[in-house]
Amino acid sequence: MTALERARRLRHSNGWIYGTMLVSAVLSLIASFVLSVDAVRLAADPAADLTCNINAVLSCGTVGRSWQAQLFGFPNAFFGLIAEPVVITVAVASLGGVRFPRWFMLAAQVVYTLGVGFAYWLFYQSSYVIGALCPWCLLVTVSTTLVFATLTHVNLRDGHLPLPRRAGPALRAAIDADLDAVAVTIWLLVLALLVVVKYGSALVA
Amino acid sequence: MGTQARTPSRQARQAREARAARQARAEALRRTRRRHRNLGVAGGVVIVALLAAIAFVLVDAAGGDDAPAPPAAQSTAAPAGATATGAIVTGTGPVTVTIYLDYLCPYCGRFERANSGDLERLVAAGTVRLELHPLAFLDRASQGTRYSTRTANAVATVADRSPAKVLAFSAALFEQQPAEGGPGLTDQRIAAIATGAGVPADVAASFTERRFERWVATSTDWAFQHGGVTGTPTVLVNGKVFEGDLYTAGPLAAAVAATA
Repeated sequence: MTALERARRLRHSNGWIYGTMLVSAVLSLIASFVLSVDAVRLAADPAADLTCNINAVLSCGTVGRSWQAQLFGFPNAFFGLIAEPVVITVAVASLGGVRFPRWFMLAAQVVYTLGVGFAYWLFYQSSYVIGALCPWCLLVTVSTTLVFATLTHVNLRDGHLPLPRRAGPALRAAIDADLDAVAVTIWLLVLALLVVVKYGSALVA
Repeated sequence: MGTQARTPSRQARQAREARAARQARAEALRRTRRRHRNLGVAGGVVIVALLAAIAFVLVDAAGGDDAPAPPAAQSTAAPAGATATGAIVTGTGPVTVTIYLDYLCPYCGRFERANSGDLERLVAAGTVRLELHPLAFLDRASQGTRYSTRTANAVATVADRSPAKVLAFSAALFEQQPAEGGPGLTDQRIAAIATGAGVPADVAASFTERRFERWVATSTDWAFQHGGVTGTPTVLVNGKVFEGDLYTAGPLAAAVAATA
């Protein structure tokens, strides 16, 4: 078995997939926690930090104070605190050999797809409407993407998704050819390109 | 006899069909593999192109900052009447109000919109000596157009050549403050705001000479390294940091009245 084959086999193994999911979900949880603490601090004392701090990395904290930061009347980061521990539990249990029923994985896929949509709406709002880059929000965007990618990978591999008759095998064959890895890499690079095009001068200055 | 004669031919036909089906499946598989390989190669090309684009944008952004400033910007001249600490002074009253601000800072805008009327009145009444420190530390938040530096230089130029118009120009800049993270306003727009605030046209036209950019940079460094400033707006009344509400009209004027 060549090194390439071993690498391919590893990439499609439960250990690698759920391991990636676990790491990404932990990163997402950390970022959500930091953002939640900030939001609570801001709510407790609206006058806190109403300045443009010399040490603030990329913004004057305007993202945290926007209406988009509390779309449902509470800080968006609370969603991360609720959802990511579930993802972590699923990843850890799966690493330990638990296999969840189809309906469970399907529900996870539906809910997490909504979450990814929300994360990208927020990315768009903070970058192009509010016009401030928030590093912790960006970490949430990236790690949410990775959790989504791994969850979709596993659900396609295990045939958990209700797809048209021909689509399932076709997608599985594409995954076998590692086209999913190519797609996710392109996805993340497009995100990186959007960020550097918008903020390149701020990032290197 | 008839059935026996048909049997071998049926077997042969079945074998042929099975072989054909196998070949068709193998052919389909080969086609799929080829398509996947082509897609993989195309994906690889896209990945390389994206990496190149990212590298190009980053190098371009870094290069933009290294562009040499025009000779005029090398001048370290301070605007006439400026203090050694980098303040532009307006008024001669007994109470000194010191303001550190950045024209891109949204909170400075809120402070200014709440208090500029009171401050202008107190300066005109001879109560306040206003020390304005235009800082430029939010340059990175204007997409490389260095809005903070350009506006601070413009205000310093007005202080140098048309000092009576400083407060009006400063307030007008905040009234039309662009969003943090956007490209800021163009030089032409800044000049138009200045003339709209009563600055003579020839003074407004000289903003682009960038005569006080070095002074602005030095003053900004001084404010953060020695002036004890950690953010903007920072407001002092007679040298003491004003701790009250900066964003509603009244408290600052009251603090000035209490000190006078």
